[in-house]
Amino acid sequence: MARPKAEQSVLWLGVFASLTMIVALVFTAIFPSYNNRWSVNTADGSQFFRAKRADTGTGYSQLEEHGRLVYQREGCMYCHTQQIRPLRTEMIRYGIHHSPAPPADEREYVYDEPHFFGTKHNGPDLSRLGGKYSDDWHFSHLNNPQQMVPGTIMPAFTWLFSNPNPADPSQTPVPDHDCIALVAYLQSLGADRMVWDPKVNGGNGGYRPWLLPQDKQNSLQESQAALSRAAKPIRAPAKPD
Amino acid sequence: MAVQQIMQTATARSQEKIHHRDEAVKWWLGVALFNVIVFGVFGLITAYKMVMPGLFNGVSWLAWPRIRPAHVNGVVFGWLVPVSIGLFQYFVPRLSGTTLYSEKLSKIALGIWEAGVIVATLGILNPWGGELGAGSLNPWWMTKGKEWEDYNAISNLLITVALLIVDYVVFRTLAKRRYRQIYVAVWYAVGMLLWTSLVYVVGNWPGQAIDWTLHNYFGWDSLPHFGFAGSNDANVNWFYGHSIVGLVATPGAIAVAYYFIPKSINAPLYSHKLSIIGFWTLGAIYFWVGAHHLIYGPIPYWLQTVATVFSFLLFVPVAAAVINFLGTARNEWHQLRYNVPFKFFMAATVMYFVVSAQGSFMALRPVQAITHFTDYTIGHSHLALFGFATMFSFGAVLYAAPRIWRRPLYSEGIADWSFWLAFIGITIYVLSMTAAGIYQGKLWMDYPHLPFIVTVVDMVPFWHARAGGGVLMVLSMILVAFNVYKTATSEEVDQANGTT
Repeated sequence: MARPKAEQSVLWLGVFASLTMIVALVFTAIFPSYNNRWSVNTADGSQFFRAKRADTGTGYSQLEEHGRLVYQREGCMYCHTQQIRPLRTEMIRYGIHHSPAPPADEREYVYDEPHFFGTKHNGPDLSRLGGKYSDDWHFSHLNNPQQMVPGTIMPAFTWLFSNPNPADPSQTPVPDHDCIALVAYLQSLGADRMVWDPKVNGGNGGYRPWLLPQDKQNSLQESQAALSRAAKPIRAPAKPD
Repeated sequence: MAVQQIMQTATARSQEKIHHRDEAVKWWLGVALFNVIVFGVFGLITAYKMVMPGLFNGVSWLAWPRIRPAHVNGVVFGWLVPVSIGLFQYFVPRLSGTTLYSEKLSKIALGIWEAGVIVATLGILNPWGGELGAGSLNPWWMTKGKEWEDYNAISNLLITVALLIVDYVVFRTLAKRRYRQIYVAVWYAVGMLLWTSLVYVVGNWPGQAIDWTLHNYFGWDSLPHFGFAGSNDANVNWFYGHSIVGLVATPGAIAVAYYFIPKSINAPLYSHKLSIIGFWTLGAIYFWVGAHHLIYGPIPYWLQTVATVFSFLLFVPVAAAVINFLGTARNEWHQLRYNVPFKFFMAATVMYFVVSAQGSFMALRPVQAITHFTDYTIGHSHLALFGFATMFSFGAVLYAAPRIWRRPLYSEGIADWSFWLAFIGITIYVLSMTAAGIYQGKLWMDYPHLPFIVTVVDMVPFWHARAGGGVLMVLSMILVAFNVYKTATSEEVDQANGTT
């Protein structure tokens, strides 16, 4: 029984197989990326998020950009996502008291190369982390997560710290530059995200930071209290200025 | 009917005249089997670190978030793709009635490929860390930070070159084939090689590294940027990420199945037409489903919906392949008692259907709301890459090894053990992860005020079960590799397989 000629050509097989890929690439990846009507992520979001800076060419400071590279090298995105889904439960979980966390918006991520959306919650989402805990809490937590959150499975990133006096191992470790940059980046996460509030501007409505000042203060106080209970808290080194 | 004739003539003629040296196949399979043990053990470390976070405490390059991408990429680029390529070079010459175009070129490609895998794994593990100073934060060297794109830019270049050489060798082999008609296994092999090459370049484009270099060394901050950012980056990431599963691992394993299932049970293929339908629908549908990894995420809503619809359309290619495999086996079920490769193939066929059906339903928004971000996905991915793709490859390797090395298989008993360890191991793995995922997802959904750490601690018993399943899976890998090693180094020469 003769089969169709088309089934006898490796060339046509290859051409059509490649076409299936190219058509899908154009429709699902290229069009949405270059068309503002198909997706808003190329639109300007500075009113709603942070503005582009002259020194780095992105919305992040140089220290935060360095922190992003540390975040990438250490693989934080394999356990922590940076996207809050528009589900009631996630807005409550990642919010604080009177400030429900706003869900992820495309305009927040325009400076993120690479993206850190993540796919797995071995730890909580980090996209609204900025301002929830103090810097000292973060240093203590990165050095020994168990002392801040008993039962956690997060690894201790001890190689981001060094001992100020190697002769004496009992000294409290001091965070390295990589670690300071990482915490600066973590503190920037979600902190600049604005939400529309009809009550501000004397009832005229306008944008305000998503985390209300009262909630932010309470949260920082709680993290300081947790730090005071920790066995070996680590403080930020004095600023060089 | 035609296929039956082709396969019979292919076998008859090759037994008469053609001498397949299979040198390259031996090397590709050997290296792949070495890699599967290395990266399987990496996976085991990952699993045990979930229940023993203090394991290797303070060793930066054995930290969980570095071992995990090394494992994930290692099993695909160190094991699944090389083993598929190795087996292609076994059956493409046999189905073409000719010898492989160049054993030497293929072996060079393998060397470049393995160098790429090693460079990439070192880049992810970054064992020199701080000692390299600023170099350890060099985007050309370290992980790209995106799932399935974790391999660094240097290794991408090596692997791309190796892929192109393999493409060249396989296409030149096909160019001098003696049978006009192309059997469906070759269709899938050609598709897999082309799709892998294409999506590999698209997915691993080093945009971040180029932009980083331009910014730091040339002060370039204006447009155009050379890589995507934010949601666009995530969208392309998952276009590529799902293609790795759907258009690299899947056609690789299905090509292997289409050749080795009929061969191992000595039965004709059930339907040629069905296999062609399966091939073209696979290509036409699978590329569209990547966005289902970002459902409810910050990408356009219509794109998520398109991905969900296409995820359900995937039932067409899946059903075509599964019906074809089961139909081929329909009169040969008695062989399950003694034919170990056939056991692997049938278990893998069932798991292929289960994992694909599971994947289609996971793309529904109400299901995804609960299962996203949980261990459910981890169970799903292991069912796909171990239960389906690796099990097909194991069966094929065990069938092909005696014919490549022309010696009888070292031990049928060990082969049987490797099957049952793999089967029981993956079953424990998937059941525990599925239960954990639904449980944890429901906790998050129903108790938004429950502290996060409570939902983590509750998972520990499931993680113990998963690690136990993982031990069995790694044992089965070791047994397959041991069996092949002993077969290859055996003194006996098998008369029956001596000339094929």
